[in-house]
Amino acid sequence: MPGFFTREIRPTLLAPAGSPSAAMAALQAGADAIYVGLKGWSRGGAKGELTSAELLDALAAARANGRALQVALNTIPRQSERRYLVRRVAELIDLGIDGVIVNDAGLMAELHTRYPDLRITASIGCAAMNEADVAFYRDLGADAVVLPGTLSSDELYAAAQVPDVRIEVMIHMVEEFIVLGKCWMPSYYRLNPTPLTELQGEGSRLVGSMKRGGAGVCFKVCEQPWVLSLNGRSVAQRLLPSRQISPINELSDILDAGVDVVKLQGRSLSPDLLAPLVGRYRAAIDAWAGGGALPAFQEPPLGSSWTVARR
Amino acid sequence: MDRPFELNTTISNLRDLKASDLSPYDAVYLGNITCRLYEANLLEHPDDLREAIATVKDQGLSVYVTSYAAPRNDFLPKLRKAIAVAVEAGADAVEVHNLGVLKIVHETHPGLPVHIGGFANVYTDAGAEVLKGFGAVRITPNYELSLEEIGQIQRQVGLPMELLVHGKMPLGISDHCFLLEYEEAWGMKCPDLCQQDLFLKQGDWAMKSVGKGVLSGRDVCMLEHLPHLVADGYTRFRIETVSESPAYRLDVGRVYREALERACGGTVDMEERWWDTLRRHARIGLCNGFYFGKSGMEYLGVRPDAVASALRRPVADATDYQPEGAMR
Repeated sequence: MPGFFTREIRPTLLAPAGSPSAAMAALQAGADAIYVGLKGWSRGGAKGELTSAELLDALAAARANGRALQVALNTIPRQSERRYLVRRVAELIDLGIDGVIVNDAGLMAELHTRYPDLRITASIGCAAMNEADVAFYRDLGADAVVLPGTLSSDELYAAAQVPDVRIEVMIHMVEEFIVLGKCWMPSYYRLNPTPLTELQGEGSRLVGSMKRGGAGVCFKVCEQPWVLSLNGRSVAQRLLPSRQISPINELSDILDAGVDVVKLQGRSLSPDLLAPLVGRYRAAIDAWAGGGALPAFQEPPLGSSWTVARR
Repeated sequence: MDRPFELNTTISNLRDLKASDLSPYDAVYLGNITCRLYEANLLEHPDDLREAIATVKDQGLSVYVTSYAAPRNDFLPKLRKAIAVAVEAGADAVEVHNLGVLKIVHETHPGLPVHIGGFANVYTDAGAEVLKGFGAVRITPNYELSLEEIGQIQRQVGLPMELLVHGKMPLGISDHCFLLEYEEAWGMKCPDLCQQDLFLKQGDWAMKSVGKGVLSGRDVCMLEHLPHLVADGYTRFRIETVSESPAYRLDVGRVYREALERACGGTVDMEERWWDTLRRHARIGLCNGFYFGKSGMEYLGVRPDAVASALRRPVADATDYQPEGAMR
């Protein structure tokens, strides 16, 4: 990996917004762009999703500040739901959104075919982990691929060498024990349908299935103590390992690797927690872009209560 | 496929292969998808992989080479090598769980049949159609899907769906092995740690740990539903034995071989000795996975006694539990 940055484009700071007030807070704190979940269609459940009216408010706020807005549509819809969602995307395009975040290869390919000018991001739920994954999603029509902040700067550099696709890094996130997008432990425990009101009975989320948008019991798996049994003997009580990562002090290496977008997780964050988080990353990116040394930041930026369940 | 059905299973290393009687099976998947450090993982040892492929072929079985579920960049060189060995040694197909690896296989070996594994997250006909364009000839859909949904994909895409009909169902894959924390306390090191009999338990809820992988505690069991599966046109069946003993592999394989032959002949009778065998090998009990649109640990059928212990939820008031502020 070269020791200096060769790109001329300043990285984008992409912040979460789980409400219009959070959107405003993120924009005022310096986010270049925000992403929001559309009610019914974002991975992981209903909380932090925006109604159509709220989405319009957030979009207006972004536009007023000259910033961009992406919409997370990162559940994996069933066939009948997919038909509806594809039509819904046309409405979102007409509203002027700047792109969508998608989880499913089939939906991605269909959206790219129908709306070739639509900017599509491969969600963190796609579980892209290597440079070949990045190339795969690019081939399907993704303009950007989200990689986890757990990858090394060397891995990010390799991913950034894949042409014609932007690299987003979820630099601030909760790292779970199971790779995002590769877990169905919750639905092993509990799975039940709940109506998707937007579809008026034609579709449902499945409580317990993260990939279908129904968080439900998900968080019990990571937040409940487990007894570890070894050869029939109980030998430990423990949680599945998870941790907050936010390596802002390594941001120079990450940006030097050629990352295009610095993404923050946390659509559950209230405006008062979100604003300082965005602000410190704004300061760090600006310092890097100015060629100066980054100030030292305290890690982690959020308290220990910002866990799998509360991000 | 000439035979009326294919019964296959999984083996991680040469030692396990040599200890296993594969007579009930038509095909074997070689390699361990969870961890590069798994004991003598065939994906990391090209000479062993060559020998294993030859050994399986000598028995007249089809041989497939699997690949990692969540590979990072540093996995890829060895994985490319394993795929090349698979081609050279005459493997019948490779199994792919990672879509980047699918692209690699499609570009480097364009004629090689590809089976899509359960971690590739095929949930829809649209997703399956995309992967078909990358050389997929068979798909194990995500384990969360019901038979109704799987049937819809099979009809619309025209590719055979492979079903896990018995064994511990994969539930997740990790980038970390928490068992390494216990090396000192348990007096054993990697790769012996994940060879132990390890379960994570909470009340009657149990999951099997294999280090970086989490499997269902209960064994998925579709024995009494085989006649329906056959009638619905399914022909590829897997018994997941990656974390099991050679005795499990043989005994359970024999039960399913006999039951499938009977089902294909139009008979639906069940033998009590089959249930005895399955119960003996199921440490925690039996379940149906997600095939009937229920939570994965439930068992539906006329043999509820097949479940060793009553289904009790670990937290009584857990229905629709969601902590305040919880979301992603």
